[in-house]
Amino acid sequence: MHIDKHQDVIAACRFCFMCRHLDPVGNVTFQESDTPRGRALIVDKIRMDNDNLKNPDFIATLYRSALSGANRFHCVSHYDEVGLVLAARKDIVEAGLAPEPVKALAEELSQVTFTVKGKGKTLYYGVNPKLYAGCKVISGGDPGKALETLGFASESQAVFDRFKKAVVAANCTTLIVAEPSVYDFLKDKLDGIEVVHCSEYLLSAGVKTGPARKAYYLESDFLKNYDRNLTAPRQLLAQCGYKLVPFGTNNEESYSVGEGAVVFDRLNPEVCAKLCQRVCDLADNLKTNLLITSSQYVKTTLSKYNSHIRIVSLEEAVAQRKD
Amino acid sequence: MISANNYLYEMVRSELSWVVGEAHVQTGESDKLGHSIDYYWVPEVWHDRGQKLPAPDFVVYPASTKEVSEILKIANTHNIPVIPWGGGSGSQGGALPIFGGIAMDMKRMNKVLNIDPISMTATAETGINTQHLEWAIEKAGYSTMHFPASIACATLGGFIANRGTGVLSTKYGKIEDMVMTMEVVTPTGEIINTLPVPRHASGPDLAQLFLGSEGTLGVVTKATIKIHPIPESRKFHAFLFKTMHEAMVAGSKIMTSRLRPCVIRLYDEPETAKLIKRVLGIDKKGAYLVFGFDGPTKTVDLELEQACAICREKEHEDLGTEMGQAWWDHRYKFFYPPYMFHLPQAFGTLDTVATFANIEKVYWAMKNTVRENFPQATFIGHFSHWYEWGCMLYARFIIESPPKDPREAVALYNKIWDMAIRAAIKEGGVINEHHGVGLKLGRIMKELYGPAFKVLEDIKKVLDPNNIMNPGKMGFRTKGN
Repeated sequence: MHIDKHQDVIAACRFCFMCRHLDPVGNVTFQESDTPRGRALIVDKIRMDNDNLKNPDFIATLYRSALSGANRFHCVSHYDEVGLVLAARKDIVEAGLAPEPVKALAEELSQVTFTVKGKGKTLYYGVNPKLYAGCKVISGGDPGKALETLGFASESQAVFDRFKKAVVAANCTTLIVAEPSVYDFLKDKLDGIEVVHCSEYLLSAGVKTGPARKAYYLESDFLKNYDRNLTAPRQLLAQCGYKLVPFGTNNEESYSVGEGAVVFDRLNPEVCAKLCQRVCDLADNLKTNLLITSSQYVKTTLSKYNSHIRIVSLEEAVAQRKD
Repeated sequence: MISANNYLYEMVRSELSWVVGEAHVQTGESDKLGHSIDYYWVPEVWHDRGQKLPAPDFVVYPASTKEVSEILKIANTHNIPVIPWGGGSGSQGGALPIFGGIAMDMKRMNKVLNIDPISMTATAETGINTQHLEWAIEKAGYSTMHFPASIACATLGGFIANRGTGVLSTKYGKIEDMVMTMEVVTPTGEIINTLPVPRHASGPDLAQLFLGSEGTLGVVTKATIKIHPIPESRKFHAFLFKTMHEAMVAGSKIMTSRLRPCVIRLYDEPETAKLIKRVLGIDKKGAYLVFGFDGPTKTVDLELEQACAICREKEHEDLGTEMGQAWWDHRYKFFYPPYMFHLPQAFGTLDTVATFANIEKVYWAMKNTVRENFPQATFIGHFSHWYEWGCMLYARFIIESPPKDPREAVALYNKIWDMAIRAAIKEGGVINEHHGVGLKLGRIMKELYGPAFKVLEDIKKVLDPNNIMNPGKMGFRTKGN
């Protein structure tokens, strides 16, 4: 089983409470099972007796994880509990035990085709192509990251292969990616093509600064906790004239409402609503604060749950300054 | 366990759902598993060896004091055990549902209700995670100054229930020194408040009765605690002494001279060689002593110099401020895997507190008991939480390869506890300082208290006539007797 490759994580996390305050789902459901300790205990039960993989309550719990990297990032030993849950999901899928909503979502995510338009040696993947004059644009859907997080490894690979084929055919040397989850997925996967996050590209391109403006930057779970704590988004926003103030009560929790699980809102809308509510509750003034996020998922999800929230994506924040 | 009785089970589940909502009554195996294991070594090894764990019948998440009250009334009606659960990180088995029943998880009650900058107090619901509480207080410009190793996982209520403490206890006190007033739901469901201030002459202090009662006398639902300004500076210094005794002489003199460090820690020679080396990288023989002061910089500098002068009276190696600061910076690291002891090791923290006159005798009594009777065990210890009159001994035994059979392993574990703790009590030690009693040490309470324990038993009987509250803990009646 895939979980067997994570014995060290099971042994470390199953009795350890030291990161439970950082688990976004545990912080809104309050359930012991929605913490790294709780999930590691479940996986340990599965390891001891593989029949436990069939337990629908265990399966539901493992699919309720937001796969936040905050726990791992702030663990002094960086035990990869997210990797453990992903392994368990792969085992669930391979045993044919994925819940129907998960299967349906996986089927939908598998049905994507990719098209490339425009001219240039640089390729852009995102929803704000106007910022990238002279770049080709690739579109179509998630290139396999979402399927990977659901535990559908072979389907993820198949979608990625189609994406890669389209990228190679575009004959570009650089791929700019806006969505942090996709950046995380692609950054080491495309030989011979440099994959950069949009903030890195825009920072190097130079943007005009505007009058100083206060804003809150919601850290991306991927960029902060998975990808070397990428500093480019903050530098870019500072270059644009944004005075960033800390959001919430601390800089350790993830306020990215399930970004780590990519399609979290589709699978766990009730929990996602609670994650959004928590973010709204932590805002100093929801109606006047400007929130900026690197993730289109975070922007869409937070906007969906609270129409009063003033949130823009990183690219939109830059575009507003350019205007 | 009432799970076997389907009619009663469904009746109780319905009643609980009417109070807290169906979504907040969990009966799935995921949550039951999470509530079956706390930080006590016995359930850990029980799980590890594939044994069936005692589980709650229901895990219930109240959102208000009124809901807590209603749940207790239901439990009384059906005579079902109620086990309050905070972070579940207690090491004494105090939150284990050994007779099934209702695990009352308090974490939904997590609001900071008020911060009073005039009196420097904060009021919060007791299900709040203590790190979240500290962050909220810090955002307002203050601090609880409550920095336990379990800050990330325990709740305010958990600390209150177990008389918990934090790293800075020497200056800012334990939780029982921090609490101003509390709202409590008694076992029969009455909602009461203790007096609004902790210093009074209006009879015995009711608050102190509930502090440390480990969920056996009721459920603490709200608490007002003291908060503090962020100190202008906090500085540390470390010394290495040839022997633990010499370090103890220096440490106790710092306290009896009435200097007011926020923290002192003294590690015996084996723990210095093992943990201080591993976590801080100090590879030296001797006993490591670290202390810190905080407050206005001028005061801190003066007190720090005085404390250093005391240490320099004995043969020492001055490790300087850097090696003191390193300890502070890594103070939680000791408790993360793989730095913390964990399975397959067997380990226990023989938490004992005594006066300066007795504390070394307690140390040697426990150490010799373990060494002479259990050659397979290693004994290490450090002295934390220092007061004007004595300090706490955080002694630990570690067995690298305990018996494979879980029953044999637990029998050995219990035997070490029994013998070591009884040796400590003989020398004037009290079990314990901040981990609580729970399931682990309940059997020793009568010996510890003598005839005085009947007073506590009588209080329990009056407050909890049906014995629903956390039965089998703290040495009180088990369910059914």
